[in-house]
Amino acid sequence: MFSRSRQSLPLIYSAASKRLLKRSPCVGSAIGSIRHHGGPSVSTNAPTVTVHFLQPDGETVKSVPARVGESLLQTAHRNDIDLEGACEGVCACSTCHLILPQDVYDNQEEPSEDEEDMLDMAYGLTDTSRLGCQIMVSEEMDGIQFEMPKATRNFYVDGHVPKPH
Amino acid sequence: MISASFFGRYAAVRSVAIITARTSGFITSGRQIVCPPKRIQSFHSRCHSTTASTTSNANGDAKPCSVAIVGTGPSGCYTAKYLLNAFDKKSTTNSSGIHIDMLERLPTPYGLVRYGVAPDHPEVKNVENDFAQLFVDSNRIQFWGNVAVGSDAVVSLEELRELYDVVVLAYGCASDRKLGLPGETSLLGIVSAREFVAWYNGHPYFDHIGYEVANALGNDNNDNPKHVVIIGQGNVALDCARVLAKGAQGLKDTDIASRSLPIIGEDGVANVTVVGRRGHIQGAFTIKELRELTKLQAEGHGAKFVVLEEELDLGETPASKQELEQKGSRPKVRINKLLRDAAAASSNHDDTTTMDTKQVQLRFLLSPKEFQPSDADPSAVGAVVCERTQLEGEPGKQRAVGTGQLETFPANLVLVSIGYKGTPLPGLEQWFDAQRGVVQNRGGKVDEATAALGGLYVSGWLKRGPSGIIGTNIMDAKDTVVNIMKDLDASNSDDSKSDAREKLLELLQQRGVHVVSWSDFQKIDAKETSASYKRTDQQPREKIVELDEMLEAAGVASR
Repeated sequence: MFSRSRQSLPLIYSAASKRLLKRSPCVGSAIGSIRHHGGPSVSTNAPTVTVHFLQPDGETVKSVPARVGESLLQTAHRNDIDLEGACEGVCACSTCHLILPQDVYDNQEEPSEDEEDMLDMAYGLTDTSRLGCQIMVSEEMDGIQFEMPKATRNFYVDGHVPKPH
Repeated sequence: MISASFFGRYAAVRSVAIITARTSGFITSGRQIVCPPKRIQSFHSRCHSTTASTTSNANGDAKPCSVAIVGTGPSGCYTAKYLLNAFDKKSTTNSSGIHIDMLERLPTPYGLVRYGVAPDHPEVKNVENDFAQLFVDSNRIQFWGNVAVGSDAVVSLEELRELYDVVVLAYGCASDRKLGLPGETSLLGIVSAREFVAWYNGHPYFDHIGYEVANALGNDNNDNPKHVVIIGQGNVALDCARVLAKGAQGLKDTDIASRSLPIIGEDGVANVTVVGRRGHIQGAFTIKELRELTKLQAEGHGAKFVVLEEELDLGETPASKQELEQKGSRPKVRINKLLRDAAAASSNHDDTTTMDTKQVQLRFLLSPKEFQPSDADPSAVGAVVCERTQLEGEPGKQRAVGTGQLETFPANLVLVSIGYKGTPLPGLEQWFDAQRGVVQNRGGKVDEATAALGGLYVSGWLKRGPSGIIGTNIMDAKDTVVNIMKDLDASNSDDSKSDAREKLLELLQQRGVHVVSWSDFQKIDAKETSASYKRTDQQPREKIVELDEMLEAAGVASR
């Protein structure tokens, strides 16, 4: 399956690579550490507010308790909301994309350049889109509904042609 | 029941029911009751126990259905994730369970997350932790590494389809689109970006690329600055440019394979030029990767980023301007601004440019026409001749048309980065669209094949073509899963091939295949992340690049 036709080239880099491959002894590194979801560590005793997630079907609403101070991605994950967080909440993907009500959007601090760059890749981007990992729950969010981007069921069947990359 | 050496490691004990984290209460298996472990035991014991997580119902008539997923990259893993979710959401009272076996050609999972994502994007690889949870949390799903589907010596696609109720192909793209220019395949020093990326990322099949790259970049005691031309303007092209510009110095603390560092050199490559046929508004890269190039110098990698204002002007045709005003153009607008700023910055500093400054150039409206052999070695590439193009056509459909004006770029190494391409497994040819490199499907279902022999589905690049980011696979996998579930719901669970797992195991044992289980992979992972194996403390891991060494680390070394 893979071309191996050019393998007979002289091994001219072996000396250098062997020098490099002689690994330096290192101690005390974090071995196999799993990074947990990004976002603040919020006490289980933190005050909670109720927030609503409009599901990708555009109809179902799930209402869940959100701890003040945590990110909306954390809220979603604690409450089994199907919001992906592929990069674990470090603003390096766009899978936790949420659509905010205009007034809530306006009350947030400006998104960082990194977040804007990620939003550019978000599916179904709107003017009030943000990343769930970057929005922290506040007291004022009690009763607020956040919209998950709409899933288009069978979008390939419906003739949607993804843009070439 | 199967009892062989493999059994101890990867046992398929159907008489013991280990409950999964998601199922509640405890399961009666007929012989014993096993209480649910709160959140699993050790990796070892986890992977040693297998079972039917959902056993027969009270009447003993609901049998779990069996699913084989070929490929363990993002599309395979998200398909598995949403299949499990779909089963969890179904009413549990009368539903049969699901057994998913994820078959992987390599001893290691995660596909392009491990071998495609750039080494200096560790945060993107965090998704591996999410995928790992699939195998950790559930005994309904198993990792079968070192199982190359499609090889008669291992298991053919047809055999797999006979064994399993559902087969999902998620093995992505193992080939490249070609330019079709003379010399592309015969001249040394012209490598596909896919192969180059797999090589620097430590893929065990791509060691040979190192010889060619080493020759091209001339570890030949010749200190002349080296030139690399990258053809194509997607994120893969920009990743390659960044890796070449950073060099060993800028990458030593990443998981880039040690074998590649001496070849790309301590300081990287002096001149990297990325060319594309169309203009900057039509580039396939995303802004994150572009911004990284603009920051190379500021972040201490010493590479000046060059964009030519006149090329941006040429690309801003009336149709391009309209493209910037269309709905959904925000990413293009932001890229346009970033490039304009970069062009202004690079022209401001022209005076200070000296020959010994490293630079990465992003060049537009240039179509490769010819590869010229090197003067010193006529068997190797020496330059790429490009033709200036101009954009013609409607907004969104602009084409690059040649103007006859030529520009020659010296090149010690050429990376062709114009797209990956899928290839059919033996037995898949009749449902394969060779032009597009995808399997013909509707919503992930391969209709004709399914009608003939049972469920055949497809996910990811093999389904939609090689585009998008990891997250794109989420919607894609959900789409396929909806259609799998539809078909499963319409079928009778009495007919389920619930013994697929045991039969596959038997077959692979007969053929002497050394299957790498999830717990075996943990041993590879442990070695790669151990302090004594890594080259620096900061490195997340040093990948094992030899297949034999991987199998040995996994404890399944061939005799």
